[in-house]
Amino acid sequence: MMSTRNVWIICGIIVTIAIYWPTRHARRYDYIDLKDVYKELQFTNKLSHLRNCNYKDVILNNSDVEISEPKNYFTPEHGGVHKPNHCNPLIKVAVIVPYRNRSLQLETFLNYMHNFLQKQYLFYRIFIVNQVDSLPFNRAKMLNYGAKVAIDMDFPCLILHDVDLLPLNSGNIYGCVSKPRHMSSSVDTFRFNLPYLTLFGGVVAISSQHFRKINGLSNHFYGWGGEDDDFYKRLTINDLSPCRFTPVLSRYTMLFHKKEKASPNRYDNMEKSAVLHKSDGLSTLPSNYSIKMEKLYTLILAS
Amino acid sequence: MDSDVSPLCCCEYFDNNNERNHILACCCSCVDLDEGVESLITGHGFPEQNRSRLMATLQDRLRIPWRGGAKQVSFDAILPVFILPLMFILSSISLWWTIFSFTAVVVILASVFRFFIKTIPQTKFFVVWTITSIIILYVIFELIVIPLLEILFEENVLLSVFFATFLLCFYLMKQRNNSLGRIGESEAESGFVGTGTRCYICQVLVPDKDHHCVWFDCCVGRHNQCLFILALIFAIASLVYSSNLTLTSVCHPFIFYKTILLPDDCSDVYQQFELGLSFVSALYSLGLATILLILLLHQILLVSVGLTSKEWRNLSFCAKCFLGLCSKRPHNLGFLRNWGRIMCWKRSYTIPR
Repeated sequence: MMSTRNVWIICGIIVTIAIYWPTRHARRYDYIDLKDVYKELQFTNKLSHLRNCNYKDVILNNSDVEISEPKNYFTPEHGGVHKPNHCNPLIKVAVIVPYRNRSLQLETFLNYMHNFLQKQYLFYRIFIVNQVDSLPFNRAKMLNYGAKVAIDMDFPCLILHDVDLLPLNSGNIYGCVSKPRHMSSSVDTFRFNLPYLTLFGGVVAISSQHFRKINGLSNHFYGWGGEDDDFYKRLTINDLSPCRFTPVLSRYTMLFHKKEKASPNRYDNMEKSAVLHKSDGLSTLPSNYSIKMEKLYTLILAS
Repeated sequence: MDSDVSPLCCCEYFDNNNERNHILACCCSCVDLDEGVESLITGHGFPEQNRSRLMATLQDRLRIPWRGGAKQVSFDAILPVFILPLMFILSSISLWWTIFSFTAVVVILASVFRFFIKTIPQTKFFVVWTITSIIILYVIFELIVIPLLEILFEENVLLSVFFATFLLCFYLMKQRNNSLGRIGESEAESGFVGTGTRCYICQVLVPDKDHHCVWFDCCVGRHNQCLFILALIFAIASLVYSSNLTLTSVCHPFIFYKTILLPDDCSDVYQQFELGLSFVSALYSLGLATILLILLLHQILLVSVGLTSKEWRNLSFCAKCFLGLCSKRPHNLGFLRNWGRIMCWKRSYTIPR
């Protein structure tokens, strides 16, 4: 028979292990170092005879962007397209933002992002995908619509972006690397830490080719949560484990700091969805959407 | 005494009449209550002797399960176990509830302090208050703040190191106090020779007694003043650090001078109960830390100038303004030797007459 003392010791050890179990904490993660970021970037073909834009300096001259700093940017072309005219852009990117009923945030976001993206010498277009039906918000489906339109417009790189996140580091280049990339790994409301390693929401960069390969996101996630974990699962099934840049480049601020519990345990209807990913996603997306060109963005109305 | 001599289980005890009793039976068969109520109903009022015996029975039956038989706890000692959780729960409702319940608790403490110290000097109320606070704060941190997944492993470990060091100092301090000579023991038995001050609360002879700390339920004298100061330092460190971790988790943080994270906007903490509770626990920690910091600075001053708390209290306001430097200080050995004296205390040390 075990003595009481031993029982106490064993209980103590179990409690200690439970308290300090790593997944109960924010995680440190593997990342691509500041000096290696440039090598990892994927570029498009030369468009004009101008000299190429210097992205190396954009990354290495990384500095903090002030949220309150005045936003003086070149007015983009109709539809929110811009490309630098003094150099030849090698990065062509579509920023896709699922959206519904947050006009104040949208205004802040657009002013901020046009300024931010132009300073990185990108050829970009901002897509706002507005869900017009009265069902619960379906972020993943809206991203699919945006991606579909962007791929049709021949964008090789997609940035899937939440409207309430703003990048804080000027060197956080909005381009794709050889793997899908989780960009918002250091958000202020999470104390600039990563809540769990498989988090793949917020801001994500993925090449159109990869996005087609995983058949986009699931169309079945109505309401908040779960779709990003399903996205992660689709990637790992297709051997596309995502990467991250150094925290020095990955800081974001969240507008209207709503607090939502981040939880890695939302695997309810995900098992099925990830397995069925060939028959649920980009390929099964209905085509009831319309495109409108606004002054600062391309609006996609979908349901 | 009952003839049954088998050992008590954790819920059994011998009551006032030396009979074996069980805590689950605490509401059964109380003769005085029966008689009292009977006479109350028949219109004779509640007899005085029944009332006092009823109180004695209540006091006797108020027990908690313990190894080797249920332990009696006094009514005043279990008060904090109810007051503190109630305060935390109420104050996480809204900002006004926070202000209300914190003020209420300060008022309760202020009134209870004088009353208990005068009437029941041996009360465990304050030490139970300390222990309950420690447990509540730690549980809230580990079970509510950590699962928000915003605190790194290293940060949790660092906090635990501060906390464990504080507990160790607290334990050693109590142990040293208990190892002192009891009042009434001869000098040879107690192990040290010389003048000590009697402390009637802990029943020991304290060398150069500074004060009796009700919150730690322990005398602070030359034998443990060093540990007391260390315990204060680590308590302040863990309180400040845990409140910073909590506040930056539940509020919106910003980076101050590219190094430390500080909270700047806590406006939505009351929308969720858990966040409100964490926020309130951080406020409570900060409050405690402020009080302990004042106490720590006071202790450092007293040790530096070679005064005890009692001597300090007897100084005039004017003398206090000069930090007691111009008054008579019988125990003063000079700055360095004052500190050396509390750091190198040994049991066999003889106090110079």
